[in-house]
Order: sequence, then structure tokens, then C-alpha cells
Amino acid sequence: MEHRRAFLASVGLAASGALAGCLGRGGGRSETDLDAHPAAAGATDEPRLGPPLDEARGVIVAFEDPSCTTCRRFERTTFPRIESDLVGSGEVAFVYRLFPIVFPWGKPAAQALEATYDRSAEAFWALKAHYYAEQDAFGSGNVLDRTEAFLARETDVDAAGVVADAREERFDDRVQEDVRAAEEAGASATPTFYLFRDGAFLTRAVGAKDYAVFERALGG
Amino acid sequence: MVRLPTRARDWRLTARTVRLVLTVPVYALLALVVAALGLTLFVLSLSPGLFGFVAGGALPLGDRLAILLSLYPFVGTEFGPLAGTLLVAVALLFGANVATLVYHLREHDLSAREGGASAVGLVLGTLGAGCAACGTAILAGVLSLFGLPAALTFLPLEGLEFALLALVALALSTYWLADGMRGGEVNGCPVDP
Repeated sequence: MEHRRAFLASVGLAASGALAGCLGRGGGRSETDLDAHPAAAGATDEPRLGPPLDEARGVIVAFEDPSCTTCRRFERTTFPRIESDLVGSGEVAFVYRLFPIVFPWGKPAAQALEATYDRSAEAFWALKAHYYAEQDAFGSGNVLDRTEAFLARETDVDAAGVVADAREERFDDRVQEDVRAAEEAGASATPTFYLFRDGAFLTRAVGAKDYAVFERALGG
Repeated sequence: MVRLPTRARDWRLTARTVRLVLTVPVYALLALVVAALGLTLFVLSLSPGLFGFVAGGALPLGDRLAILLSLYPFVGTEFGPLAGTLLVAVALLFGANVATLVYHLREHDLSAREGGASAVGLVLGTLGAGCAACGTAILAGVLSLFGLPAALTFLPLEGLEFALLALVALALSTYWLADGMRGGEVNGCPVDP
């Protein structure tokens, strides 16, 4: 029920949005533009499925936590159709950003995901899927050992190197960039999605939203 | 004096009273409408930003309706089977509770056992429905003041505790309403034969 926590944050966001409207905006980019929206800060370097952001008609920026059970439901029910239909159409990009705020093992998992992405995007998506598929088996005590075993078994990346980097938090700046983006965008729960169409911000959706939300807002 | 429903016959009284009220078509309709409204308010309260986008955006009507429908349990994927069942149960019980209360206020002169138990039922029913909708939001707000934004996820049922609490509150509320209607008749039948 993480998404319930977004309620007050949304009220605050709406209030600040109204205030921004009252104060007026200067010229140039507005926060409703994809390239100026806090959720999308640095997103061009983030793990992405689909076309480059500046070529995509629709963009989904997702903030997720590998240890979050609601994210797991989204990954099982909605994400496969986003990947096959929306991303598969070549017109929608899906950006995965880390917001490890749920269970403690999500933090080392986030470090391992960034260390893996630095080596191979393909291995990154495989590891991300593995975390959600086997979520119940992970805990703070075994997450990096299981990560190393999976990467060694299923991918070509240097599994021991990934885990060593994760232990040393070598890519912590990338994790923190995601966390900062989430917080500045007003996210306080996982999963939180920011939807953009034709370069403009459409809406924020929190929770394991149905595929219809993404299809109807971004498709057509 | 307010009594707790500790005996099986207390629950039989509650079930009989609600059943009698709902045999009156207009009250059955009222219960359904209130249940639907309660569920709608609840799911929309979880997605205020999305609701604003759907209400104010430029999407075609069909897309708007599809997005709104997908927010409901068992229609979309937002709620798992357990959470969905609990939310629907809370909504239905809320509808039955309100229908029973309205029947009591409209059809009885409130002099049979006076409003003591009924008033407690009304307050608790309101709290019950309110706690399902707002409990986690309020708690989340309080927790976030202490830097604990994710603390809710450490509750064993991830916040569904509030729906369970609402279910208990509404059940108690309905019992006290029924208790307050003892000695009266519903649809020509005695509440407490």
C-alpha cells in the first residue's frame, strides 16, 4: 500500500503547482517539459527500453525498488505489456530509475544493478527481472551472494566484479542521482511513474497501475 | 450502556436486521449506491494526480473512462486479490450500514431504545469508513514528519491493517444500529422476534 503515502505528497505538489502558477513562469523551459522535469533529470543516461527520449512520442519514467512488493505486482502484471506493446511499437520509451526505500536489501540490490548496468544493459534488465521474480528469497544477508550467483550463471558480466563494486558502493552517485530525482519530483512511494507525451509532462501515477493507464495516456 | 456483540445471537440479530432492511428495494438500492460511492471515493483518493489528469486533460471520453475503471479492484491490477476483497467488503458493509442507519432515522421514531447505541454505531461507522480511506494517508503524513516515509511497508499487511480495522468498526457499528432497533419492526417484521 505504498501508493497511499503519495496522497499527502500529491496534495503538496498540487499546492506548489498552484503557487507556481500564481507566481508566473519566466521564459524558456518549464517544469512541464520532459527535459526540465525533475523526474527526468539525467534520464538520458539511465537504463532505458525503447527509442531515445528525444525521439519517443511517449516516455515513462519509473521509480522502483527491487524489494518493493507493489513494484513486483506491476512488473508481473503491467510491465510485460508495456514492454511488448508500447515499447515494442517503437514510440514509447521506458526509463527505470532506482528509489530503494522499502526493505533494507533493496539498497545493496540498487548498488548491484548500477554496477551491472555499467557493464551490460542486457545483464541489467535480466538482473532486475530476477529480483522481482525471486523477491521472497532475498534479504540483506544474501542479496549480493545470490546476485553474484545469478550473474555468473545467466550473464556474461564479471559477477564477482559487480558484487565487489556493489559492496564498495562504487556507483552510489548514480543511485543517489535517482533518489534525488525522485524526491525533487515529489515521489514518496514505489512504484511511482511520470508520464510524458510529445515532450510534455502528462501525469504522475503511483502504485501497480493497470496497463490501461499507460496505454490510454500514451497510446493512440 | 453500550454492549459488545459477544454472543452468536448478537450477530444473528445484526444479520437479520440488515437483511430485513435490504429486502426493501429502495434501501437495497441505497446500500449499493453508497457502497459504489464509497469505493469510488477510496480509489480516487489514492490517485489524486491521475484523477486530475483524467478529469482535466484532453483525452477522449472512452480513454478517460477506461483509466478510471482500471483503478477499481478486480477491474485493474492495482490491488491484489486480498486487498481487493477487503476493499469491496468494506464498501459493501459501509453501504449496508448507511442503509440501516437511514432506515432507522426515517422509519423509526428513535424512541424504542433511544439513540445511545445507534449514535455509537453512527460514529463508529463513519470512523470505520474514514479509517479505510484516510488512515494510511494520515499515518504516512505523521510518519514522514519523523523521516519514516517507508515505515508503512513494514506493517505486516502493508497498510491493509486499516481496511481490516474499518471492517471491524463497521461490523460493530452495524451491530449497535441493530441493537438500537430492537423492539421495532422492519418491513413489517419484528427486528428481535
